[in-house]
Amino acid sequence: MDETWGLSQMTRIEVVVSGEDVAVAADLFSEAGARGFTAVSNVSGLGHGGHHQGRLLFNQRDALALLTVVLPAERAGTLVEGLRSLLVNRSGVMLVSDTWVSRPEYFR
Amino acid sequence: MSSDERGSARVRLLAHVEEAARSIAPLWPLSTAIAVNPLWDLRQMPFHQAVRHAQQVLGISGYPSSALFALAYAAGRVNVGDLRAVLDGGRGVAACRDVQAWHEPEPGTRRLKTAAERHDGIFGSQVAASVDREVAKWCAAYLAGIVPTGPTEGFYAAWREVVVFDPSARSLAGGVGRKRLAELGADPENAILTCLDLLGISDEDRATELARHLARMPGWAGHAKWRSRWAAPDQPGPSLHLVDYLAVRLSYEAVLLADEAVLPGSARGHTAKRHRARTAPHHRRTEGAAQALDDHRARAGGSVAVDLPDDVKRRLGGLSATALAKVWLAAYEGHYQDRLLGALDRPPPEPPPHPQAQVVFCIDVRSEGLRRHLEGCGPYETFGFAGFFALPIRFSPWWSDEAMDLCPVLLRPTTRVAERPVTSTGQAASRELAGRQAVAAAQRAFDATRKGALSQFLLAEAGGIIGGPIMVAKTLAPSWYQAVRRWAHQLIAPPAATVVDVDPDADAMSDDERALYAEAALTTMGLTRGFAPLVVLCGHGSTTENNPHASSLDCGACGGNRGGPSARAAAAILNRQATRGLLAERGIIVPATTWFLAAEHDTATDTVSVLDPHLVPEDHADGVATLQSALDRAGAATAAERASLLPGTEGRRRVTGPAGRAADWAQVRPEWGLARNAAFIVAPRSVSAGVDLGSRCFLHSYDAATDPEGVALETILTAPMVVAHWINAQYYFSTVDPDVLSAGDKTAHNIVAGVGVVQGAGGDLRVGLPLQSLYDGDRAYHEPMRLLVVVEAPEMLLEAVIARNPVLEELFDGQWVHVAAREGGHDHWKIRRAGGGWVHWTAADAHTDTKEHTNRG
Repeated sequence: MDETWGLSQMTRIEVVVSGEDVAVAADLFSEAGARGFTAVSNVSGLGHGGHHQGRLLFNQRDALALLTVVLPAERAGTLVEGLRSLLVNRSGVMLVSDTWVSRPEYFR
Repeated sequence: MSSDERGSARVRLLAHVEEAARSIAPLWPLSTAIAVNPLWDLRQMPFHQAVRHAQQVLGISGYPSSALFALAYAAGRVNVGDLRAVLDGGRGVAACRDVQAWHEPEPGTRRLKTAAERHDGIFGSQVAASVDREVAKWCAAYLAGIVPTGPTEGFYAAWREVVVFDPSARSLAGGVGRKRLAELGADPENAILTCLDLLGISDEDRATELARHLARMPGWAGHAKWRSRWAAPDQPGPSLHLVDYLAVRLSYEAVLLADEAVLPGSARGHTAKRHRARTAPHHRRTEGAAQALDDHRARAGGSVAVDLPDDVKRRLGGLSATALAKVWLAAYEGHYQDRLLGALDRPPPEPPPHPQAQVVFCIDVRSEGLRRHLEGCGPYETFGFAGFFALPIRFSPWWSDEAMDLCPVLLRPTTRVAERPVTSTGQAASRELAGRQAVAAAQRAFDATRKGALSQFLLAEAGGIIGGPIMVAKTLAPSWYQAVRRWAHQLIAPPAATVVDVDPDADAMSDDERALYAEAALTTMGLTRGFAPLVVLCGHGSTTENNPHASSLDCGACGGNRGGPSARAAAAILNRQATRGLLAERGIIVPATTWFLAAEHDTATDTVSVLDPHLVPEDHADGVATLQSALDRAGAATAAERASLLPGTEGRRRVTGPAGRAADWAQVRPEWGLARNAAFIVAPRSVSAGVDLGSRCFLHSYDAATDPEGVALETILTAPMVVAHWINAQYYFSTVDPDVLSAGDKTAHNIVAGVGVVQGAGGDLRVGLPLQSLYDGDRAYHEPMRLLVVVEAPEMLLEAVIARNPVLEELFDGQWVHVAAREGGHDHWKIRRAGGGWVHWTAADAHTDTKEHTNRG
């Protein structure tokens, strides 16, 4: 990362969960102090359990959603811990990475 | 604890609450009650493992009792051949690779307990029962609006405000304890954490502890789960969330058991004794229920007292109680499977070449009889499709500000659809509106008087002169009373002609979206060519009196509402020229001479009403009249068939037929509903046409020839099949564990705040179905079996659909449902084993005739 860009480092957490788990994941984000998140509904892909269909015409709760949340590194550990507990008994993916943002005040 | 540690603990707590809530099912309010698998959130586990988990947390058995199997054996409903087929591992439906495992000793089932239950076990107190009583009382008061709350105040905050004035809290915990109840923190999450710390519950045990707390009263907890995880964000009414509910429960437990400030030293033992004296009546009920449960569990797993051949007896002899129940259940299910597949194992007959009408019914099992009889009345073709007709809408009747969501609960409505009076009926509409407003105002005034502290006594005195004769009429001549009421209603508010407005506007669907939903409906049901002059979309509902569970008899695909509005909206869309033009671009050509007609089947009376008759073009009037006549004949035949299955239709004290039952406010069993549901058939109607399925099968039309990618099959299996499984599982668990998972006896129900019923004066909300929907006296009318899904589609297509949908893998591989399939009408049925292997179906006893099946055995 080029420091002259003037960006601030944050932690990005992406989770793929079924539609019915979006609400509880959002609760965890909120509890961890995240100021917002992005949700993409009806995502598809290949994972540990095989291919996953994206859009289900008449079932929104079993279709998969991708949630992306960005927050300061010092608060990320709490959220990772909560999401890990949530995913113990249900299918899902959690990806954690460093990211840089131009307006850090939006994420603190 | 630092603020970071506290924050981390709060996040973990939310995950623990979510994990704990898996063991209970959401409970919908009475007005939109729908069936749900009580163990739905445990579906990641195989069926038997989930049952075992529920045994530990909920204290259920999970299997039919040995008495039920003994009766079934005596009646020939399950036989030695069925048992041998299971024990030999030759029956796919039974997961026979488990046969060896059944002989292995099972780990002991340890019943989980809360801190209060553990305390009670040691000291002989009834703290847990006291907490239940207090929490149930406050839940009811909060939802009924008796507890004053701020606009955004949750249950916990509202309870904290008032509990310090509660005399029973003082009696329970003393003056200091009552004060302490409100001092555990203003925030419910923090209060839970404080309580868990006080009770000494370690982090790794918290999810289990909370699960058992929720399982103590699965009704109130289920309502909280519905509100937290299923209700729309804009759902009106007081919000009782899971975290608030747990915070209140744990506050009582922590103060009563662990708070040294309240109960130093031996005072806990003294208080426990005092509890025992105070809570004796309540506890006796709890204790009685627990004893009944223990009895049921003993019956459920124990040996079935029937005379079996030596070889079978020997092989069953080494099995544990649970393994025995599994064998008997598999045999019982296999017996039905053999009869159904045997009846369907034939080349399908050709459908009528030029049907006068095609009638699309809901997949509901109650449609099967009507479809069978209608097909016998003339050249009519029938189809099955989910009764919301692929339109997830929020519907507003023209005379009301309230709206209802007409779609399965797996969906959120995508658009609003409103009813409006037709332009030419302005004066009639004004009259109806004025009449309805007058009736509503009178009702409001009556309710206000009824609830007033003093006015209720005046009402009882003054209203007796009018109310007495009305009650006598309702009781002695219910049909006459209904006719008079209808007449009066027509006089006060004569109905004006209306339409369901589906014309595009800024807030509604675009033409493209309409065409998309229309295409989805037609292709999914396999109706894309050969349209008849009349295509009827027939929703359903049930008209009953004095029935808190009425909505559970309405259409589940319409969110527990009547299906008429959905049928009207779908018909209106399919009659639009714009829709037909767009459908033609997608390859579905609907002739200009075809008219889509809306109708509604009343399942309590088996009458079918044509809706929006004023919209029918003149050149279809004769066709509609002829069809109505056929529907009347088919309805009468269906009602007669159904009446023979309802108890109390013979002898001197016989009750009236279906219409009389529907009108009778004292009738606890207006219809059997979906009792005895057993299978879900996904195939062209020709596969089952002409076979008496005994109103036990959900029938979804499907033509694999028009679905090369499996898109329609995927839609059917991931939505209607899931809903059918929920219904089937609710009937199963309500029947096998009525003490915990049924709504109990209807005659002792009291409605609480419109959200549910309690048995008697208070306590937990009852979940599941009333006993009168399941049992005829002591004998189960419903046959508890897991759903058998029968599909006519290529094996590879079916496997591909299963592989890309985790919910199907969970249900099929976990044996929550069984699957049979064949590729075409000239192939034989195969059974899918868990994991994806297929075996040819062979009946356990090839010599058994099919008489039992055709007699709805």
